[in-house]
Amino acid sequence: MTDDLEQLYQSTYTAVVRFLYRKVWDAERAEDLAQEVFVRALAHRPEKPRAWVFAVAANLARDEARAAVRRKRHLTLLKADPIAQPTIEPAADTLVEHDERVASVQEALNTLTPRDREILLLWDAGLSYPEIASQTGLAVGAVGTTLARARRRLVEAHDRQNPNKGTHAAHS
Amino acid sequence: MRHIPEDELHAYLDQGLSRSQCVEIESHLAGCASCQGMRDNIAALRDRTTALLARLAPPRSFPTPFDTIRRRAAIEVSARRRRVHRAAWAASVVAAVAFGWTASQIADSSGAFRTATGSPAAAPLAASLPVTPVAAVSPALTLARPARGESNGRRTTRRPLVRKVAAAEAPRVSVPPVIAPAELELSTIDIPAAGDFELDGMWRTMSWVGAQAETGNQLPHIDGLPVVQVQVQAGKQGKQPLMVVAQQLVSGEVIRTIEGPASDVSHLLARRTMSDPDPKVSSTDSTRPGTVVYQGVDGSMAMQRGDRMIAITGALPPDSLLAMIRRLNAALRSK
Repeated sequence: MTDDLEQLYQSTYTAVVRFLYRKVWDAERAEDLAQEVFVRALAHRPEKPRAWVFAVAANLARDEARAAVRRKRHLTLLKADPIAQPTIEPAADTLVEHDERVASVQEALNTLTPRDREILLLWDAGLSYPEIASQTGLAVGAVGTTLARARRRLVEAHDRQNPNKGTHAAHS
Repeated sequence: MRHIPEDELHAYLDQGLSRSQCVEIESHLAGCASCQGMRDNIAALRDRTTALLARLAPPRSFPTPFDTIRRRAAIEVSARRRRVHRAAWAASVVAAVAFGWTASQIADSSGAFRTATGSPAAAPLAASLPVTPVAAVSPALTLARPARGESNGRRTTRRPLVRKVAAAEAPRVSVPPVIAPAELELSTIDIPAAGDFELDGMWRTMSWVGAQAETGNQLPHIDGLPVVQVQVQAGKQGKQPLMVVAQQLVSGEVIRTIEGPASDVSHLLARRTMSDPDPKVSSTDSTRPGTVVYQGVDGSMAMQRGDRMIAITGALPPDSLLAMIRRLNAALRSK
């Protein structure tokens, strides 16, 4: 089992980091969480480790998002306090550092519903239809339908933001 | 002719269909230009999506060596085991506390703690001696400190929590509330050593069980309070022993109940207070013909019946001491 997990780690680690990065938008944090995922996998030894790893990654990312919301609220409170203001950290506004192309895809992705976005990211991480279905609770037959919609909406949203580039890219 | 739905073509290109479904679709595609065009569009959309998402990749980094992950997992597993053990321990404490409380309730309902006098003076006792909380807390104390009490070589005492509960139930609730006396600030009553006092015999510190066996279940005590010390001085031939039982209130105060020959008890009280050897006669107990109640000058109360005397010492209001000694007297009379 441990050897299987090691193989899974070697083959999937990058995909897990990428999957997490697209949720937390912080490369270092994504790596920390990915390592946490595999630590937990070793501790729990799941029967279907590959699907389990992505399920735990999704949960950790969700927790991270909640924590970010709490931090944001705290930040708002601190901003209202002129004495505490100098201690404010730059927060998670690192999005600014992304280049325009990345930001446009990111914005397009954010226009999807959480369900569509989740399934699109899971598919892009390499999960099969049955794995996506078992993780999200969808019927296997509905995964294709959801993916079809998600892909269409992502590309449409991106092309709306970048009409020239989008058209060019569509034809290229 | 039925064309292939869009979602099925997505699933086909994603290899999300069964082999038989794939064969069916491929045979249709071979003869349907419209569906071929649709397939090509979907393939382009699919590639486009992949290309767009590829932009959202973090900077490439080398994975942490798997051995590091394995070491972290080992630490995690060991920490989890410790958490489970702690949780189990906490659950056992909660169960013991709940059990102690229940037992106390049973004892209360069976009248074990009721005073026989029915005197209004019993009311302050309820305020000053919350028996039920003590009963609930004691098992926790027991579980928290058993090893220390035993490793110190200290005596083990048992709290007579539900002495009047049915005999078959008694062993189940007799959780010994061992409290290492060194951890308590005991009240300053001095038990005189042999020779210092004109009493025969040696003072011996005993376990609750041992003292009960030796005195024939006659140890003076207040039901529901944890016992922290039992001391017995053997009497002369044909004479009852002199017994001192220290118990702790929830407030941390220690009270001592003393029972023995009237002369011995009064001498003991007099020595403690360093006052007149004969305690001041306070009153006679109207509810107990033939008994005389004595009130000491500093937190002691005694009650004499014939040649026996019981006493209580502790930093409590006189009315509480009076109520307690009445309860004590009633308990000893009922034996």
